[in-house]
Amino acid sequence: MPPDNGQYLVAAYVVAGTIYLSYAISLIVQARRLKK
Amino acid sequence: MTPDLGPAHAIIRRGLVLTILGILGVGVVMVLAVQFTPVEARQGLAQKIFYIHVPSATVTLWIAMPLTGLASGLYLWLHDLRFDRFAAVSAEVAAVFCLAVLTTGPIWAKPIWGTWWTWDGRLTLTLFLFFLLLGYHTLRAALRDPVERGRFSAVISIMGVVLVPFIHLSVYLWRGLHPQPIIMKPSAPSLPPEMLRTLLTGIGVFILMYVGMVTLRYGIQLVRDAQEAADAA
Repeated sequence: MPPDNGQYLVAAYVVAGTIYLSYAISLIVQARRLKK
Repeated sequence: MTPDLGPAHAIIRRGLVLTILGILGVGVVMVLAVQFTPVEARQGLAQKIFYIHVPSATVTLWIAMPLTGLASGLYLWLHDLRFDRFAAVSAEVAAVFCLAVLTTGPIWAKPIWGTWWTWDGRLTLTLFLFFLLLGYHTLRAALRDPVERGRFSAVISIMGVVLVPFIHLSVYLWRGLHPQPIIMKPSAPSLPPEMLRTLLTGIGVFILMYVGMVTLRYGIQLVRDAQEAADAA
């Protein structure tokens, strides 16, 4: 039976998602400010 | 005089669309990995970190860094500031991807290796590459003259590209805990077809996200440079 370590998967996906999403949002905010 | 910023805003719009598609694609890859890809028998669910970690590393090492180095080399040769601008933008996005590699890696390592970090050749060199990228941006922020900034930072980014083959070959050169490549190797990929499909989808999506972020960031920098040039005139 595979080991029960799903919490590490959730943690990694949350961390990676946060990094990419934060950077994307920061770019979108910069682009909107420039448009104004 | 107000510069014509129409083309730059068109680049921003294109980048925006591609970035949003890339972010949504990452969500799709996560669902694909969790719901539609088999669980590896020995590693369990933690193995699915692979579908985020490996595409992030692939884009950092095989797309972002080579393009940054190429643009830097072209800048040193042709002295065209557009190459310097692209190199800076690509290096910024590379740092974001590298950060994702360096955070998802230890989270995967803990349940499998029993430790968050080990001074294995590949891990150490990847950390060194991340510090080099931070140094690159620190140097750029410190230099005001665009020609001097472009020249010095190009040399640093080329040093970063030189690290890439060492990072790739580190698992062969030094014995460590990091596994050997399963795709970027002379023989056929050693993965079941369902896992390979999810991984290749992930790599495609992360490339799309890199292209989107670089396009968006390039457009933003283009507008900033034009505004600075207009203010100076």
